[in-house]
Amino acid sequence: MKRVTTRPAPPSPIGESVPRRDGVAKVTGAARFTSDLSVPGMAWAKIVRSPYPHARIRSVDTSAARALPGVIAAVSAADLADVEIYYGHALADHPLIADGVVRYVGEAVVGIVAEDAATADEAVALVLIDYEPLPVVITVEAALADGAPIIHEREAAQRPHRGFEEEIERDHPNVCSLSTQSYGDIDDAFDGAHLVVEGDFRYPISYAYAMEPYTAIAEWSDGGLTVWSSCQHPFMVREDLANCFSLPQSRVRVIVPFVGGGYGSKSYTKIEPLTAALALRAGRPVKLALSIDESILTTRGDGAFIHIASAFDADGRLRGRRAEIALDTGAYAENSPLVGRKAANRIAGPYRIPAVEVTCRVIYTNTAPASSFRGFGAPQGNFAAESQMDEAAEKLGLDPLEIRRRNVVAPGEALWPGVRGMDADLDADLGLVAEALDWWTPPAAGHGRAIAISASDAGSEPVTTSLVRISADGSVTVTVGSTEIGQGSSTVLAQIAAAEMGVPLDRVQLLQSDTSAVSYDRSTGASRTTTLVGLAIQSAAADARAQLLDAARDALANGGAVEPAPGGVLVDGVHHDWGAVVRAWFAGAGGEIVGRGYVRKAGTTQAMPSFWEIGCVGVEVSVDEATGQIWVKHLVTVGDVGCAINPQLVESQDLGAAIMGFGMAMREELVYTPDGNLLSGNLVEYRVPRAGDIPPFTSILAERGDGVGVYGAKGGGEGSLNPVAAAIANAVQRATGVRLRQAPFTPERVWRALQERDAGG
Amino acid sequence: MSEIVELNLAVNGRSRTVLVEPRETLADVLRERLGLTGLKVSCDVQVCGACTVLVDGLAVSACTYLAVDAGDHEVLTVEGLARDGELSPLQQAFIDVAAFQCGFCTPGMLMAATALLSDNPAPTREEVVAGIDGNLCRCTGYVPIIEAVLAAAAARTASRPDR
Amino acid sequence: MIPRFALARPSALGEAFAAFDGAGGDAAWYAGGTELLQVMKMGLARFGTLIDLKGLPELRGIAVEDDGALWIGAGTTHREIERSATVRRELPGLAGLEAHVANVRVRNQGTIGGNLCFAEPHSDPATFLLACDARLRLEGPGGRRELAMDAFLESPFVTARAPDEIVVAIVVPGASAGEGRAYEKAKFRERPVVSVAVRLRLAGGKIAEAHVAVGSMTDTPIRVAAAESALSGIPADALALSEALVVGAAAMTRIDAAQDLDGSPDYKRHLAGVLLARAAQAALVEAAARV
Repeated sequence: MKRVTTRPAPPSPIGESVPRRDGVAKVTGAARFTSDLSVPGMAWAKIVRSPYPHARIRSVDTSAARALPGVIAAVSAADLADVEIYYGHALADHPLIADGVVRYVGEAVVGIVAEDAATADEAVALVLIDYEPLPVVITVEAALADGAPIIHEREAAQRPHRGFEEEIERDHPNVCSLSTQSYGDIDDAFDGAHLVVEGDFRYPISYAYAMEPYTAIAEWSDGGLTVWSSCQHPFMVREDLANCFSLPQSRVRVIVPFVGGGYGSKSYTKIEPLTAALALRAGRPVKLALSIDESILTTRGDGAFIHIASAFDADGRLRGRRAEIALDTGAYAENSPLVGRKAANRIAGPYRIPAVEVTCRVIYTNTAPASSFRGFGAPQGNFAAESQMDEAAEKLGLDPLEIRRRNVVAPGEALWPGVRGMDADLDADLGLVAEALDWWTPPAAGHGRAIAISASDAGSEPVTTSLVRISADGSVTVTVGSTEIGQGSSTVLAQIAAAEMGVPLDRVQLLQSDTSAVSYDRSTGASRTTTLVGLAIQSAAADARAQLLDAARDALANGGAVEPAPGGVLVDGVHHDWGAVVRAWFAGAGGEIVGRGYVRKAGTTQAMPSFWEIGCVGVEVSVDEATGQIWVKHLVTVGDVGCAINPQLVESQDLGAAIMGFGMAMREELVYTPDGNLLSGNLVEYRVPRAGDIPPFTSILAERGDGVGVYGAKGGGEGSLNPVAAAIANAVQRATGVRLRQAPFTPERVWRALQERDAGG
Repeated sequence: MSEIVELNLAVNGRSRTVLVEPRETLADVLRERLGLTGLKVSCDVQVCGACTVLVDGLAVSACTYLAVDAGDHEVLTVEGLARDGELSPLQQAFIDVAAFQCGFCTPGMLMAATALLSDNPAPTREEVVAGIDGNLCRCTGYVPIIEAVLAAAAARTASRPDR
Repeated sequence: MIPRFALARPSALGEAFAAFDGAGGDAAWYAGGTELLQVMKMGLARFGTLIDLKGLPELRGIAVEDDGALWIGAGTTHREIERSATVRRELPGLAGLEAHVANVRVRNQGTIGGNLCFAEPHSDPATFLLACDARLRLEGPGGRRELAMDAFLESPFVTARAPDEIVVAIVVPGASAGEGRAYEKAKFRERPVVSVAVRLRLAGGKIAEAHVAVGSMTDTPIRVAAAESALSGIPADALALSEALVVGAAAMTRIDAAQDLDGSPDYKRHLAGVLLARAAQAALVEAAARV
């Protein structure tokens, strides 16, 4: 790991790779995930799923299933008249169980609850459902064709407070949202261009493969509803559950144990409403633990078809960019309207472009629903846009590094009107990657190198809170609503609290992810936790320190001078630690001082986005031209994170993100048959990267203190995924002369491109 | 025709007796009957390795291994790696280099690496990669895991000058 | 969830046949379980009784027979073959390919006999053993017989084995002087896309004899006669070999391959030609060392 640091030195333990606080639990098997939990009296659920991609449900007969000894309940939509079964992040178009119509193979139609999983499994086979097949739409092209079957006849309500202030636009019944990004005089930009490059690109339907499948346990009691779930956003799940079951949010408790990977796929609400509905009908606590095959059918990533044109001056400066993006969101909107909005703005790249006109349609098909997935619309568009930067460089006779340097925005410069100025030094980041790739020395024969870069409006909404509680012994308990999903927030946030309170790290306890025990956080995603929750902790710690200072004046000063000091106060020059202050103020009978921290769209976090997340990667490749196999020989990432609170964790996030991008560039793809069946719906067929696939890797952390967060930090962990596909495609072009326009770059696709090259095509 | 079999298992050095059906997998019995939830079930098709446990020192996929086949054999799970509260050198190395994020693959990864190291105490980097190639990790990009296994091997070799 | 079954654990072949008989035909032989338990878990197969063959001494071991043939008990695991000094010496190509079958857990559990009986079209050992003229020894209540690989493998997941027969061993003829056997596969995901095995014998500076088997492309691994005749009788030099490989690659383009997630028929045919060249070169190296 190389660290390039121009920021001031932060207080200890900031910037130190302290061991993860969940380490012992995770290496001894003691870490409990939702799938490891059980509740007294708990019953097990299994789901009957649709074999049809689109069909009307004529009848459901669960009598044989109910008659099986050990079966407690068999629940279909007809049994849930007292429940608001429609939910969804942007649009409430998704019934928690099929409501008369199924819209994809794998949709839940009946839930079985039984004494044990084996019995529930047996009962699934006993449910009789009569379907009337309907015409199907599997591709985005077919969805928009004349006379295409309409996938949603029912008008779905737009959900309030979900990031869409204005009404979601739609221009076709199968378009679930239409986003546009438009500024400048686009006609002028193209009319006066020296060079226009134009083309089509395809990005695969993907699967995040969080190794822990979706799992939830629901229990009803006099106090309301308690749900344990492997989710990233417990407070949003709480809101959706409250809505489905007409409960005050305060009477819904969502608890998140350790989470086995998320990558965005566990954002928002998934199986929690269904689990709660089954528990309600069963009158028992219920556990629903999906298999991986079922998880693939629950949420996937949006596939994309992109038509893009970029206009350049003779010196390689961008004049304008037009793009039409079609995202395949499958049967339900989930969070794809927001993915679509992000895809629309992120395709402009971190470039100064006077005129942009982008439309992004999020399109329903009869396939499994797509939603947020690491990168959130960025990898799709970046593949197309960064491919074009290299195409333009080649046509203009420019170095691909140079054309990027001419176009990236300067620090402080806004990418488009009204947004926060760039909080990164992109030119310097490009230089770091180039240096690590040995850019200026020609590569070995048959090898190619490339660099690609991205910028994402990150941080989601700046809405979060924290409490910092100082006990009578001076130890510190911090509560935050954000979830530890493996990224290391339980370590990093504790480091921030220790630094802010001036106490050793082992005096800090961090509590997360129990909506009844911790204060609100909007979401764990968009790389926001270190930055925004860190700010909330900083603010809560400052509030606690101020209260402690007052308390010391009140109870300890005795007329003397009180001033702040690390870990406590000085009273007439004598140090009293926080515990002494608390004890004195409560007159020796225990007690606790509670500091509050709020982050909202105000002050330093008013401008949007909260920060820009940068991806800047380089690769060197060679190609086995006989088979079409690409070999990545070197992968370079820059984690431009402002201040690495825990460098080891930042590096690991960066590599993990880049390898996920590598997986989608090289192999990962969910493939549907024309009749709506998923061919690669299991881990035998859906090939994720393995240890043997990993290229030699150089990690660079750029720490310039330019983020809005604590000590100049800003988020990471997503950026390094976004440019990988474009970097590999561009490097293959440099190595072989062929331009790859469809990811993943399977050996066959590469081989075909080489065949066309050799045929002079 | 269901039958119940009395199964004697030696798990992590302790002998345990459970009544099982022949169809029950080792993963189910360890997790649901014996409360050893360290091993995880993910892909359920012997690809991911999250359910890796050792039977007589050999790594197997507990998701596709009949519990009755482990009868009278030594079963080692992640819960058995630490001795008397002392982490194994491999576990310690995983913590030292942060060779995990979410931790869902970690128990299986540790067992695969434990089998590798007991077989080959001083592996090359390539041998480590081959040894864990059948265990998926979606978080780390594998590099820290490879480093941890190499570090554990080095620590072990260093502590045994006779080697 | 695996459907319920009863488990029988015979300790000799005779007991196994009796158990099969006692189950009234609703039984399956069971060893490593890597394939069988998987299909049962997926609901694709259901048996009243599984008869565990792991306790049968008749199926265990690796030996060289009097005529130099390599005898591998059907109950030998992939891992045992991979690490067997005998296999490494007598048939290094097999040890080498076994080291890359699936993953270490599957290799620890799965047996060579189970792999061949399952007759999955992508089986690595099946393709290689076909080129090597391996034979399977079967025993049933009615007696024993021997089948060549091509007679044994009938179609995907179907073999010539009668339900009550057990594959006891695989026997591979010993290498004669100047013989080399090699296996190459292209694998981009979990299973091979195409695999090619070449067995050839050098004599008097010529390739006296060549066997070429192609796997994963067709329902069962096949011998490719046109590729074999192209390689047979040519001088063992680079020029003649490259000319023969062109003919061999052309022969591959006539194979009727299936379209699947790993690729299109024409791509697989092309790969078969590429792998033929790589396998032939490797077989020549081994052959030269045995002259």
